[in-house]
Amino acid sequence: MILNQEQIMLRETVGQFFEDQSPVSRLRGLQQRPVEESYDRALWSQMAGLGLTGITVPEAFEGLQFGWMGLGAVSQEAGRRLVASPLLSSVALAQNVLLNCASKRQIESYLPRLLSGEITASVALDEGRFFDPGSVLVTEQNGQISGSKARVLDASMSSLIFCVARREAGDLGVAVVATDDACVRITPARFMDLHGCAAITFEGVPADRTEWLEGVDVASGLEQAIDQATIILAAEMMGSARETLERTVSYLNEREQFDVKLASFQALQHRCARLYCELELAESAVAAALMALDDAASSVSAQASAAKTLANDVFSLVTSEAVQLHGGMGVTEEMDIGLFLKRSRVCNQLLGSSSYHRDRYARRFGF
Amino acid sequence: MTEDALSVFRTEVADWLDRHCPASQRQPIVREEQIWGGRRRVFPSDDARKWFEACRDKGYTAPDWPVAYGGAGLDAEQEKILKQEMARLGCRPPLYCQGLWMLGPALLVYGSEDQKREHLGAICRGEIRWAQGYSEPSAGSDLANLKTKAEDCGDHFLVNGTKIWTTKADEADWIFCLVRTRDAAPKQAGISFLLIDMASEGVSTSPIELISGDSEFCQTFFDNVRVPKRNLVGAINEGWAVAKELLNHERKMMAAFEGMLEKPAMALLELAHYAVGVSEDGRLADPELRSDIVSHLMRETAIAQMGERIYRQGKAGQMDARLPLLMKYLGTSQAQVKDELILAALGGEGLSMDDESVASEGVRKMVKQWAFNKSLTIAGGTSEVQLNIIAKRALGMASGERRS
Repeated sequence: MILNQEQIMLRETVGQFFEDQSPVSRLRGLQQRPVEESYDRALWSQMAGLGLTGITVPEAFEGLQFGWMGLGAVSQEAGRRLVASPLLSSVALAQNVLLNCASKRQIESYLPRLLSGEITASVALDEGRFFDPGSVLVTEQNGQISGSKARVLDASMSSLIFCVARREAGDLGVAVVATDDACVRITPARFMDLHGCAAITFEGVPADRTEWLEGVDVASGLEQAIDQATIILAAEMMGSARETLERTVSYLNEREQFDVKLASFQALQHRCARLYCELELAESAVAAALMALDDAASSVSAQASAAKTLANDVFSLVTSEAVQLHGGMGVTEEMDIGLFLKRSRVCNQLLGSSSYHRDRYARRFGF
Repeated sequence: MTEDALSVFRTEVADWLDRHCPASQRQPIVREEQIWGGRRRVFPSDDARKWFEACRDKGYTAPDWPVAYGGAGLDAEQEKILKQEMARLGCRPPLYCQGLWMLGPALLVYGSEDQKREHLGAICRGEIRWAQGYSEPSAGSDLANLKTKAEDCGDHFLVNGTKIWTTKADEADWIFCLVRTRDAAPKQAGISFLLIDMASEGVSTSPIELISGDSEFCQTFFDNVRVPKRNLVGAINEGWAVAKELLNHERKMMAAFEGMLEKPAMALLELAHYAVGVSEDGRLADPELRSDIVSHLMRETAIAQMGERIYRQGKAGQMDARLPLLMKYLGTSQAQVKDELILAALGGEGLSMDDESVASEGVRKMVKQWAFNKSLTIAGGTSEVQLNIIAKRALGMASGERRS
């Protein structure tokens, strides 16, 4: 990634902040908390205080306007420490659904509270087993919203749900619903990587308690927001994958067997060298996708799919290899490597598996 | 240069190219029409000669070399603009030459002023075609094990030995060689870098037949060949540094090799559509091939993006020196993946290199290329050697302890 001076300072400040305030052990601490707590609120307040909610938000809306490269760099730093926070769910996804799908009046009514960190929002997208944003069964009928959503990130911590639903006319819409609504049933759960999500059932939320986003083109605004969040997630995954490889190489450089460092064995050197090639290849695609977002390039959708596919594949490869290369220690809870492995499995499914994105990419290129 | 100056430069370049590149030289290059230069050079057409001569006179055969040595003296940004504009208009590369890609850049660093004046201009002007004398039958990946000997005979060296995988040595005029000038430990400390005129008495070549049916590579023999002392590049016994500088350029060139090759008759996607068809939902009829092609396209694009990333890092002064080490390994492996996909798509049509009843000429060329490109991950340092370098230099992994 080529960063400008402001972005470099941002990355360094945030990297140090996460190093001090949110090492991987802080994520483990969530295990002792109730399942509703999918991240540490105190940590999040500090993050919001640093301005991390507003990195890509235009100055016109009181954001920092540091660009997508800036948010990508922050997400990578978060990925290095497996930070649990609403950076993906609320900042990358919900805020951009709002910015892309809402009217100016609606943006002005919700965005300031999101930027200040006072509230967060979660986007209810998934319904079935797989990520498939085109197939939506949650519907508006006689003005009421009914149906079920799955794997809504950080929903139990959010004040608002942006629910993607089929309007009565058949087109896609996004409804803003309060999480404390009597007709919204939220069942929180923890993924194996200790990050949190929830299943949500909408039991006929009445029209006077829902607000439909009124932007010009909600369907394409939604797709755009999903692309944006997908690229940011890919950046976070690259941070986690890089951390995993670095930890693995330093382990091999320390551990001795047969009276020599494990790192001196060519079989292991070649495995690590291949992982590093794959890592930098994926990093190049992710960096190019972030740049495409900053340039508002027409290729963003294809690049989002390529970036997510390469990030999925390399994160899963690096973590599986890391466990093997750590030997017996790799399968113990004493090491963090297992957490990175689990995180890779979860991230692979979020916002689309490689198989989903390869198919989407092929369709974009007409085959 | 300022953005404004670069944009003026772009306009001038585009205008110059448009005026000097004949329409026939904007067609995709075919192998038979590549211009390799040399004493025995021939031009396939008048247009080809005109285009070559225009580029030669402008310094565009070696755009980034200093004007004094026959180049155009362009900086990295200008060179990139020239490449972009040539690509946009589809201009053919004016000259193909190992002298341009490998020897020249090394001479610019290690050559004496006399050597630069004698050789660089002749390379740019396409007058001398160079071959590379590195590998030997017993010195492949272990290049420093080379045995070709150059004996100090006062005013000249007497060279005896043999070099292998010397690309197109049978058509080359000069050869740059690594030779042993002393038995030393480590082996690298007794190697010198020598330029040898292949017209000298005692030099002979013999082509090697390859699995692609081509004979791109030769074995070259040196039998009591007298080489003037002034043809030594760098200090005596210090040729290994020159060799490594040159290898960096060779690897860079090979990572981007595909762009210089003859384009297949059909792009991969077009070929797949033609060969396997589409199902009712518009998807390519073979789902596995479809998925493999997508993976390939994504990776191929990412490799180009990595090249771009390296360029931008250099420009911003944020160079990560580890990245260029990866390009040869990634680029050559991916080129082979592409060839495999082409053959998979061709099915039964891709089973012959020379039988006209089985396949058209275009298809047979693709099959030959598939076989020839197996050499990409071997030549210029095998993929395994690249991985050794990456593990050691990029990842800092401990050196292998040799134990009996």
